[in-house]
Amino acid sequence: MSGPVLELRGLRKSFGTTEVIRGVDLELRAGERHALIGPNGAGKSTLFHLISGLLSPTAGEVVFDGRRIEGREPHQINRLGLARSFQITNVFPRLTVFENLRCSVLWSLGYKYSFWHNLNKLADAEERAEDVLRRIGLRRRRNTPAGLLTYAEQRALELGITIAGGANVILLDEPTSGMSRSETANAVALIREVTQGKTLVMVEHDMSVVFGLADVVSVVVYGEVIASGPPAEIRANAKVKEAYLGQHADAA
Amino acid sequence: MMRATRVAMFAGTGLLFALPGLLPAGLLNASIQALIAALFACAYGLLAGRAGMLSFGHAAYFGVGVFATVHAMNAFNGAGLLPTPLMPLVGAVTGLAVGIVAGWFATQRSGTAFAMITLALAELLHSLAPRLPGWFGGEAGVSAMRMPAWGLTFGSSVEVYYLTLVWVLASLALLYFLDRTPMGRLTLALRENPQRLRFLGYEVHGLGVSAFAISSMFSGVAGSLQALNNEAANYAVFDASVSAAVVLNSYIGGVGSFLGPALGAAVMTFFGYAVSDATRSWLLYQGVLFVLVMMFMPSGLTGMVASAAALLRRHGTAPVLPAAALAVAAAGLLGTATVFLVEILQRLFSQDYRALAAIAAAPPPIDLFGLRWLPGAPSTWVSLLSLVGAGALLAVVARRRWQQVQG
Repeated sequence: MSGPVLELRGLRKSFGTTEVIRGVDLELRAGERHALIGPNGAGKSTLFHLISGLLSPTAGEVVFDGRRIEGREPHQINRLGLARSFQITNVFPRLTVFENLRCSVLWSLGYKYSFWHNLNKLADAEERAEDVLRRIGLRRRRNTPAGLLTYAEQRALELGITIAGGANVILLDEPTSGMSRSETANAVALIREVTQGKTLVMVEHDMSVVFGLADVVSVVVYGEVIASGPPAEIRANAKVKEAYLGQHADAA
Repeated sequence: MMRATRVAMFAGTGLLFALPGLLPAGLLNASIQALIAALFACAYGLLAGRAGMLSFGHAAYFGVGVFATVHAMNAFNGAGLLPTPLMPLVGAVTGLAVGIVAGWFATQRSGTAFAMITLALAELLHSLAPRLPGWFGGEAGVSAMRMPAWGLTFGSSVEVYYLTLVWVLASLALLYFLDRTPMGRLTLALRENPQRLRFLGYEVHGLGVSAFAISSMFSGVAGSLQALNNEAANYAVFDASVSAAVVLNSYIGGVGSFLGPALGAAVMTFFGYAVSDATRSWLLYQGVLFVLVMMFMPSGLTGMVASAAALLRRHGTAPVLPAAALAVAAAGLLGTATVFLVEILQRLFSQDYRALAAIAAAPPPIDLFGLRWLPGAPSTWVSLLSLVGAGALLAVVARRRWQQVQG
């Protein structure tokens, strides 16, 4: 593990007079698996939006690989090697599973918006898409329109689309929300497998997922990070227990 | 590509090349119109069907192609900017350039706002054109001459037909290839989910502008071919009805498939050719047809053919054919009844008829379907009602049969 690959410095975001992110400082080291937890409405998804370029911060900095990226367009941030998934499944419903993945790799392979290559002759794009297809376990569903997949399959595809471009930093927004126990277990194994060697940040509500997967846990409450550290430390943190885990301790 | 598709494609192309030998001159001219409309509709289909952007002002890009070509034909004292067979390049370049500018503005928004911007841009041109007689020729328009080139005189419809056919086929081939490139596939993804695309590294506005500009470029080629065919241009080409026609043609054919818009345009051109001579209400029939297609087969004619093929494959011909025959008969009867009513009413309320009726003692008879109908006679209206009744009855029976077939 080396220096921080992603760093938030004094990040603030207001909607009108309401400040939803109230000065967040966070450091992510390359290769770590970092979970953001906190009650609903604490600002976890907003943090993701600020990092990935969907929203611009009101103040503060987002530093990725030594470059300030706050306020840049989502596609520019993605091209630097940061990819995200969405809380609500966000795929291309009338394209097949395979086409969903192939569309996700074209930029990083340098074909961009080419109108002179025959898509079906791009062996590397096909190979990369097939590889992701195999890793997310959807080979049987290769030619099914994404909109017809089951919920868990769509979540797997969402993950596949996110990682297909080969980004080094992956942001996953509640990857297991709405899944059954067994589906969650599969999803955790899948996330662990496909994010190997990458830096992972995820928002997650399921404590078994958080404590099973994360190296570092940060607790966000009312737009601030109140604690950050290894899972065991967070579990023991009195402030966290009071603010958040208290309500969930029995469930976890 | 499946073998059957390929055979059908070669057969279709062969037929198109053989047409001048098979058709009388009038129909050959209609075929040229149909080819041009087909290319225009396919270019429109790229935008509406593939990229999911419903433009209500595509006449603008067709129109600039028409005018650019007419001016190019008149350049150098009528010698022409390019040899006649290469003139469509002028339409392509103009369409592309105008498309980039218009697309840059229009694709800032999507959905209804996009449609309204395209409509506004087309109306802008339509109202500006008569005020710029130097460019658009005012009420009289601009005329030009096809110059002989490459050993061809381009004096006959047959030569114009082949010139049009070659350009239309080449353009369709390019559009078909485009569909199979990264750009084409990303255009589909843009239709499906532009937001997601942004987070995969793609600049969606640029992608939208490209799709818009390419569609506009091929619309410009179609416009060029129209200018070459008519040897004239009038600002009426910017009329909203031209924009509406390409939307109707594309949706009647089916924007979901590549050749759907072309099919719709060809069918509607020949429909207009056949019907516009016979009746003054042909625009009404066109509108009724569009409403029926949208209500009962929203995926258009190609969608209907595909689902018919699927039914035949699943259930075999034996149960499907009688049901289909019943449906066709019901549609025929109801269609006849509609035409009957529309034509009788249209003539009853026409000025000619009212003038005749005013001087005659009793309302004079109306000629229709080779018979004379008295508007006052009960037999006239009983005939109409029995047509409607028989049609409705058959429709009910046909519906039952369909339900049985589909089990």
